[in-house]
Amino acid sequence: MRKLIVIFVVALMVAACGGGATASPSTSAGAQPSDGGGASTAPSLSGTVRVLIHQNPPFVDFMGTFNEKFKAKYPGVTVDMAVVNANDLGTSTQTRLTANDVDVIDIFSFSNAVQPYMKNVNPPGWQSLIEAGLLLDLTDQPFVKNYDPAAIADAGSFNGKVYEINLGRVGFSGIYYNKDLFTANNVKVPTTWSELVAACAAVTTAGVPCMTAGGKDGWPIFVGAYGLFGAAYPDQAALAEGLWTGSVKYTDPGFVELLKKAQIYGRDMMESGASGLAGDAAPGRFASGAVAMFPGGTWYGAAIETLKPTFQWGYIPFPGSDNAADNKYMFGKYDQGWAIAANTPNKDAALAYLAEFSDPANYQAFVTAVGVIPTQPGAKLETAIGAELAPYLANFRLGFELVWNAPKGAGQFASPMQNNMFKPFGTFEDPQAAAAQAQADLQSGLDALK
Amino acid sequence: MNYPFGTGRARAAPYALLAPGILLYVLLALGPSLATAVYSFTDATGLPNSPIRWIGLENYREFLTLGAASKENLDALIRTFVFSLAVTVVQFTLGLLVAVLLNQKLRGTKFFRTLFFLPVILGVTIQGLMWTLFLYPLGGPLASFLGLFGLHSDMLGGQPAEAFAWVIVVQIWSNLGMTMVIFLAGLATIPSEVYEAARIDGANRWQVFREVTWPLLTPSVNTNLVLTIIGSLQAWQLFLVLTGYRAGTQVMGYLVYATAFGQTSGTTAGNTFRQGYGAAASIVLFVVVLAIGLTTQYLLRRREARLLE
Repeated sequence: MRKLIVIFVVALMVAACGGGATASPSTSAGAQPSDGGGASTAPSLSGTVRVLIHQNPPFVDFMGTFNEKFKAKYPGVTVDMAVVNANDLGTSTQTRLTANDVDVIDIFSFSNAVQPYMKNVNPPGWQSLIEAGLLLDLTDQPFVKNYDPAAIADAGSFNGKVYEINLGRVGFSGIYYNKDLFTANNVKVPTTWSELVAACAAVTTAGVPCMTAGGKDGWPIFVGAYGLFGAAYPDQAALAEGLWTGSVKYTDPGFVELLKKAQIYGRDMMESGASGLAGDAAPGRFASGAVAMFPGGTWYGAAIETLKPTFQWGYIPFPGSDNAADNKYMFGKYDQGWAIAANTPNKDAALAYLAEFSDPANYQAFVTAVGVIPTQPGAKLETAIGAELAPYLANFRLGFELVWNAPKGAGQFASPMQNNMFKPFGTFEDPQAAAAQAQADLQSGLDALK
Repeated sequence: MNYPFGTGRARAAPYALLAPGILLYVLLALGPSLATAVYSFTDATGLPNSPIRWIGLENYREFLTLGAASKENLDALIRTFVFSLAVTVVQFTLGLLVAVLLNQKLRGTKFFRTLFFLPVILGVTIQGLMWTLFLYPLGGPLASFLGLFGLHSDMLGGQPAEAFAWVIVVQIWSNLGMTMVIFLAGLATIPSEVYEAARIDGANRWQVFREVTWPLLTPSVNTNLVLTIIGSLQAWQLFLVLTGYRAGTQVMGYLVYATAFGQTSGTTAGNTFRQGYGAAASIVLFVVVLAIGLTTQYLLRRREARLLE
């Protein structure tokens, strides 16, 4: 008899403990706009949401605040967030997805898709993740409707299904400039290449290095170069196709001309030591007044504002041409977004996380904190960088690196826009030789197709 | 035959005792190595549920012969040899010198032994962070010191040859302590009577070292050479931390990692996962390390046998 009572009591206890986890509906993000798309009811969600994001100080700070808000709304959920360098995000994503050790992933937009004219190229990492079934299909999630359909289609979809909600566009072919320094030295804001050269000479004569960038991380140096390439080739998708089909060659006089400018940019405009500067340290040097200009992406705007709120700065397209009309474009990309691991053991909480983030109020706070061009129709970029960027948004174009794939067998200089070939960042001193090497490296891959 | 483990069931004792270690070795080393070899003949991405196709020698053909990229792979191999040679010669020589010095009965030897060994236990991340800060070209300690003399260097951000040289310096600094400790252990086994006898015979310091210390240090010499050569041929972590995947500085170990885990593009876009191809690169590196390692072992054993004659 005593045994029966014990068994009965234990059964009651088990039913009471298990009831909270099983009794609540396991919902997809439902139909409650105030919840940002409606997830499971707050008390029923539990467990840990493991989030992986890339290093960008304003974004990391914002996520800290957002996570606290999320945990306050869903007290049963713990958020375990990891931050990695942007260059390591792809590798970390792959390994953690493989180990099923992550639920919500910060992922850059779906770019570098294999174009019809490309042969013998490796598919981009995001495509491999989707084809391996590692990313969750978000197509029918209500929070997807919070975003601009074009952004969802262009930056987060594959074969008609949505795998990423893209959080915003960024421009990266611009230059931040120190307004006070320019005024003090009577320097005109440059609208042409010659004016940029003159502006650099003027500030350097005044004892201030002209520019800096995070050369140690590699890619920040060629970010500024987009203005050079974009002024000559505003349709960068056509440039990529032309290089593949042979209608455009790196040895064309026009391309050699812009390599000459790229050399001047890296050798004469960049401050000495920039090649050893980490990417995250560069905005700080600019904000401190150590340099007059800083070619970089719009995502640095929020960091500069935070570092020195009283600092007067502006942002202009990098003028790569002596014809001001050629310099009107702002090149950029769809930047970061969210995806969910297909095998997440905590799908409800992960979906609730994205739904909460997609709530218009939370998303607006993200846009303001990080400084991206919004992909939700109702959101506005009303920060200093938004005001600077507004005149150029009508001429926003996707940058070359998002559409380019080099063929297998191509050498490292087949993508000269992704290498800074000239000293002090590279080893070349002669633009003709650099152009010839770049074409030879590309041709090597194209010939391997035959 | 002498078989000390007895008869009957007791004969199984040594095998039973070895079994856990062998199992661990098979699971953690041999097994994955064999899997890597098989992987190298496939187009595996390393992602679960990804289809894997057998492609034969295609990965090897691409790595060794396809276009300009294969020339860059061979350049990385040459750079690996240069790295290994430089690290081995300098680290071995300095390690021996430091060990001989710190084997004296002088004040402070324990402190200096600890100081030299400290980098070994720091780990690559801390080592890399320390040197990145020390070599910061815009106001770091070394840059400031050079600035006093009107000199400037971009250090790790400089030309590939300079950045490569700095990684060699850091590699030596981080492993010198291990070389020193192995030599110290060897020096400790040399009986003092041998030194006394040599001094009584009128040998000077150099003659004592050449005729007594050096031959009797042979086991430590062999251990250090093999460890340093093989370790430096496979080294890549310091390149990851100090320079990143940068044209003109890659070594084979880093090439394998970057290729397999999608870090070759140098940007945040366009990373691809090619673990089958990375596996092929790692097998190429393995063959090179095996050839050099076996050759080194053979030559060292021959030398040891000659010394014992």
